[in-house]
Amino acid sequence: MKVMITGTGAVCAAGTNPADILASVMSGQTSMHPIEQWDTTHWPTHVAGEIPNFNARAMVDDRKLHKLIRRTDLVGLYAAGRAIDESGIVAHRDTLEGVARAAFSDRSGVIVGSGGGNFENQYDYFPLMTEAGNDLVAFGRELSNTVNPMWLLRTLPNNVLGHIGIKYGLKGTNACITNHSVGGLLAVIEANEALRAGEADRVVAVGHETPVEPQMVLYYHDVGLLASEALRPFDARRDGSQFGEGAGALVLETEDSARARGAQVLGEVIGGGYATEGEGLLAIRADGDGPERAIRQALDDARIRPAEVGMIVAHANGTRASDSSEAAALLRVFGDEMPPVTGFKWAFGHLIAAAGVVEAVIGLAALRAGVVPGIAALRELDPDCAGLAVSPSNQVPRGPVALVLCRGFAGTNAALVIRST
Amino acid sequence: MKKRRVAVTGVGLVTPVGNDVESTWSALLAGSSGGAPITLFDASGFATTIAAEVKDFENTLVTDRKLLKLTNRSHRFALEAAEQALIDAGVRPTPGDAHRWGCAVGAGMMTTDFSDLVETHKHAANSGKIDTDLLLTDGPANDPIVFCRGQAAEGLALLTRRFGIHGYATSVHTACASGGQAIGTGMKIIRRGYVDRVLVGGFDSMISPIGIGGFCLLSALSMDNDTPERASRPFDATRNGFLLGEGAGFLVLEEWELARTRGARIYAELAGDGNSLSSYRITDSPPDGDGPIQSMRQALADAGATVEDIDYINAHGTSTLMNDRSETAAIRAVFGSEADRVDVSSTKSSMGHLIAAAGAVEGVVCALAIARGEMPVNANLRERDTDCNLNLITGEARRGRVRMTLSNSFGFGGSNSCIVMRHPDLA
Repeated sequence: MKVMITGTGAVCAAGTNPADILASVMSGQTSMHPIEQWDTTHWPTHVAGEIPNFNARAMVDDRKLHKLIRRTDLVGLYAAGRAIDESGIVAHRDTLEGVARAAFSDRSGVIVGSGGGNFENQYDYFPLMTEAGNDLVAFGRELSNTVNPMWLLRTLPNNVLGHIGIKYGLKGTNACITNHSVGGLLAVIEANEALRAGEADRVVAVGHETPVEPQMVLYYHDVGLLASEALRPFDARRDGSQFGEGAGALVLETEDSARARGAQVLGEVIGGGYATEGEGLLAIRADGDGPERAIRQALDDARIRPAEVGMIVAHANGTRASDSSEAAALLRVFGDEMPPVTGFKWAFGHLIAAAGVVEAVIGLAALRAGVVPGIAALRELDPDCAGLAVSPSNQVPRGPVALVLCRGFAGTNAALVIRST
Repeated sequence: MKKRRVAVTGVGLVTPVGNDVESTWSALLAGSSGGAPITLFDASGFATTIAAEVKDFENTLVTDRKLLKLTNRSHRFALEAAEQALIDAGVRPTPGDAHRWGCAVGAGMMTTDFSDLVETHKHAANSGKIDTDLLLTDGPANDPIVFCRGQAAEGLALLTRRFGIHGYATSVHTACASGGQAIGTGMKIIRRGYVDRVLVGGFDSMISPIGIGGFCLLSALSMDNDTPERASRPFDATRNGFLLGEGAGFLVLEEWELARTRGARIYAELAGDGNSLSSYRITDSPPDGDGPIQSMRQALADAGATVEDIDYINAHGTSTLMNDRSETAAIRAVFGSEADRVDVSSTKSSMGHLIAAAGAVEGVVCALAIARGEMPVNANLRERDTDCNLNLITGEARRGRVRMTLSNSFGFGGSNSCIVMRHPDLA
């Protein structure tokens, strides 16, 4: 069974829709800027990919909803809404009546990759803690006078899932995956599998995260994951990653569902793969075992040979260990048949749970435009990564198929294969 | 194409009524309650001062101190219950088949341990507002171990590392539906052929000033502080909120033929999974049962079963006014007159509500009900709500052949999960 992509949406530092983001990346300009959400003058890290002029109303029009959700949910709902609008699934559903209408909603799923939590939300308890001193009895007694009664709901990791359902009346199969930075791409893989298994006729797959908050940045810095100056994937002098914030979404549909309503088809999901190294939260193997197995599984699943891959959107997060092990995996799978390789994190940062979905959306837009955006931040290819077909300038895809790779904490690795139409 | 079938071959439990399967099962049959005054912190100022805590817990099976240092309370429950399940199954990953093993868990919400939050408040937010420059010299905010313990993927990282699982490993969170969805995910990845065996489960612990506080703010908890053992009374006319529990439940799932070939003891076939979104309100199910109706029908269809095949329903049964009424309407809508026959109980009446662990623990309950021919009692039911017209197991546990079970889990956010199991002799 074929699984079609009929709508996409994305928002990040580089733009508020896929076309603008692709144009920005292709221009070679970075969207990484000094952090604005707090004063980083005395901080060891100053740069991130924040969404410029962030406006909650522009993300989600319903102001009542703003009290119930967080910044990460705002961007997730925004991207999902744009993908749903572009696909036309809800507009189509609303032309139906009675049983057909209800059945359409029941057969429409939502699968989300979410960051799973943040630190700032817990700071909402600080005023109460100050008021109560060290006295837990006073803390309990004054609780409802000081803390937002909706605090727990604002904290839910599955808010985007629930609120997409309510806003658009989608009621089918669903999941919220909290697997750090593979969550988003895994949501796309799971959406594809749900359609193949007949659990739904269409699924909205979303990834969203806004990790640019002080305590998160500090931890990543302390464990050595953040770049001192810039994110330079596969570069000899790379020294870490940088955060960005954003969200991406894809509407996937069975071929029958898309055809029945005469939908515009942007592309196809043709395979997925997933593997875990299992050596702890932060550990990754030097030999690229996990990404290699995920890639091979995805290519097998898509029933294609390495030579048929037209471009690779690498995880390319800029850390020494991840980039070199990822390169090792790609070299073992593709060898002499290496297609052009790119990565997008240098341009708008590592979007964590949103990374894989946004990169799949932009990867699809690039395939459709017939371009492999260059990695403008690349100066000198690391000898450890020699053999990767990367370039600071834009390249041309070898064909209409892209492999998108994503890696996360707990040694998790996801690979998705898409084809443009 | 014929579906690969899935066997449940191992179970493990750490619950408020017992730190292993046997003690928990005896308590569930007897209907004893895990509810008591909160001991984990001084809750006397809170509107609710009771909970169902896991009691006298220490890790006895997983004693690797380096690993335990990286855990929060819920991770310690998870490691113990998972180890129990693997021992029970008599099979575990080896370097040769690690990539054919998966792991799917329902993990609790990410939060910092309260003691760490207190320290950060004292150092960097004494005024009530965070001073980001002071965060630079704060202890917990610069402690990588605090960071690891607080990450949503840490439970998954600990389990896959401890047991050497290298296949599909995932962590899901749909609030109170998390555990059920984790079991469903495990079943699907075996069916797809991604893996042959999966460690599935759920773990949670929210009995802290922040967790209890969050639920108190929503007025979701029973405030029967003088009678904690009676506070959770699903389907009773006087019910007034849920009793917060904590713990972990794990199951070992295996591809059917592999389990048979190695002569494994099979508790049950994990036969069907259903998922739906209520898309109604974030905290409530619709009164007419819309949403749960679809998840139950899907799970039955997925299992190739009809309502006549089901002998026991482990209800979500939270003991809140809305849930129990809505769930009753859903069961009535799906089962029709068969609802007069099928036995129903909510084991939350004994254990309280284990949130992200609930669906997994209740999945274990269903596997045991089938294997042992015993169905736990719906404890604390004295005055039946006329709106909750179900064949509830009251007074004492029931015994008899259990051909198939159905387990409901509904979460904040509107996710509904339904899991159907079948007796191995009928599979």
